[in-house]
Amino acid sequence: MLGTIYELLRNLFKKPMTVRFPHESIEIPNGFRGEHYYDIDKCISCGLCSKICPNRAIEMIEMPERYKEKYPKSYPRIDIGKCCFCGLCEDICPKDALKLTKNFFLSTFDPKSVIKEPIKNDMD
Amino acid sequence: MNETELIKKIESEFGIKAEKQRDRRIWVTVKRKRLMKLCRFLYAKNFEHLSAISVTDFPDKKVYELTYHLWSYRDKILITVKTKIPRNKPELESVTPIWGESAQIHERELHELFGVKFNGNPDLSPLFLEDWNKEPPFRKDFNWREYVREEYYDEKNEREKPYFV
Amino acid sequence: MRKMREKNPTSYELLFGPAHPGSGNFSVRLRIEGERVVSARADPGYLHRGFEKLMEYRNAMQNSVLSDRLCILEPLNWNLIHAEAVDELTQEEIPEKAKYIRVLMVELSRIQSHLIWYGAMSMGLGFDTGFKLAFGYRDYILDLFELITGGRVYPAGYICPGGVRRDLPDSAEGRIRKVMIKMEEMLQRCENFETTTILPRTRGVGTLSLKDAIRLGATGPIIRASGLKTDVRRDDPYEIYPELDFEIPVRREGDAYARCMIRRQELRESINIVKQVLDRMPKEKLKPVKPKLNQKIPEGEVYVRNEIARGEAGIYMKSTGEDKPYRCKIRGPSLLHMIPVLEHLLKGCQIADVPAIYWSLNICPADMDR
Repeated sequence: MLGTIYELLRNLFKKPMTVRFPHESIEIPNGFRGEHYYDIDKCISCGLCSKICPNRAIEMIEMPERYKEKYPKSYPRIDIGKCCFCGLCEDICPKDALKLTKNFFLSTFDPKSVIKEPIKNDMD
Repeated sequence: MNETELIKKIESEFGIKAEKQRDRRIWVTVKRKRLMKLCRFLYAKNFEHLSAISVTDFPDKKVYELTYHLWSYRDKILITVKTKIPRNKPELESVTPIWGESAQIHERELHELFGVKFNGNPDLSPLFLEDWNKEPPFRKDFNWREYVREEYYDEKNEREKPYFV
Repeated sequence: MRKMREKNPTSYELLFGPAHPGSGNFSVRLRIEGERVVSARADPGYLHRGFEKLMEYRNAMQNSVLSDRLCILEPLNWNLIHAEAVDELTQEEIPEKAKYIRVLMVELSRIQSHLIWYGAMSMGLGFDTGFKLAFGYRDYILDLFELITGGRVYPAGYICPGGVRRDLPDSAEGRIRKVMIKMEEMLQRCENFETTTILPRTRGVGTLSLKDAIRLGATGPIIRASGLKTDVRRDDPYEIYPELDFEIPVRREGDAYARCMIRRQELRESINIVKQVLDRMPKEKLKPVKPKLNQKIPEGEVYVRNEIARGEAGIYMKSTGEDKPYRCKIRGPSLLHMIPVLEHLLKGCQIADVPAIYWSLNICPADMDR
């Protein structure tokens, strides 16, 4: 009984442990596994990232006509809904073309933004 | 009792050679009709903890291989007993009279997932799967990717097309 | 005649089921008469994902990423047992610093798992403040995981066959020591609360004798509370545990109170082990393990045992020379604690004791169904 009363008195004057997100936030360390960042100019189309992915979330596709001259081979298309953010594709890429950034704000209402194409702007 | 004495005792009683893989690990293979006698002999030698029972499927040799892993708290040795049963008629005697309820649960799981029938087990009702009336799912000839494609995936869906390659 | 007997108004069946706020993803059917439980029947299978078959289609590195979903409440312990099974088949030499990092992460994961148990047990008994405190202190350890492995809850196969995936960053050691001071503060608070919250509802409830415990297959803290001094880290040692100095708590009563006290004592011993590992860790730089395709595992079969926070875990792996395992059988402690032990203990107890008994066994539905 005495222990409980001691705890009660001690905690009356202490600051609570909660971090009020989004007004305050904790700093994210380097090496956090968030959204993918892909640089098409470094890619050599080896296809290793597609073979190592445990969930088959990366598919190698060919570019449409507009870009076929500059980029003739096949390039990875990533489905973020299937990805488990393990980082095996980043570790196996021999030219460091695929990296994981610190962004984790990935929820969306738009189903088209779930699939990330190799080239940023609209590809139709 | 350490590993070499146990190997000698098994050899003098049953005539089969057990082998020592490393410290605290012994592996022995018996024929099916002497399995219960060996299990009773080991239980009397203080192997009172049944760690796991497992079934491996070999479709080309047409056998199921069972492994029983036993641990002794007093002597600190783990012994594994292996035996083979035919694949098209998998039936075996249960070890529940020796090790009690802990053996019963393992056998219930294997009955559901591999189709092995254990004679003498008081309760073999389904454990994990509900309303399953196809063949036992963990056999090597059950193509589970085919099953999932038929039941749950749709080829016209853009995101599920890569699975139909 | 039978219909008249069955119209007894105080006899009914209660489903302590999957959508209950005090249980995980499983259900228990209780037959109740008045205030007493007559019989119980467990109903598992809500989380069955077929792990043993999933692992036959992936190679060693991909299986390592998959293995932390076996039970998400202690992911690094399951990573370690899978990595040990593959390491014993390939007979590869692991660098010394990697072994120390593995034991450090496993003990941090064990502390975090016991804190979840304390929070859930308090919530089951109605003590909400304990729940908030436990999950609040657990956040400090999740921040450490984010610094070292890159993710708060899912470490994505950090402990993999051949070592670990990344080296420890430089600021890790100072931060770990500060977090251990906070953990000791949490233990002090638990002791202050003990006589009013946990003791009156768990003393003398759900007693399990030693003979029954061995026959029903209980392992871990449950059998240590019934009188047998055994721990896989001492009897069947792995990694660098032979060089570390820690005690094994044992009690004789076998009731729910003894199980709770043993888990608290284990938390204290884990903090002790973390401090010893930090003092002895070698200072050289470690080469991280990178994933490779077509890495073959030699032929053979192996059975590995480990002590996780809930009991004894085991993996039986058989390989025929390819890069994917031929058969991988996973033995979790919760399958035996859930069906034989829980059904035996719930017979004849009062309804109000059901949460106390269930939470004192610390069952994880994920590693029961696999």
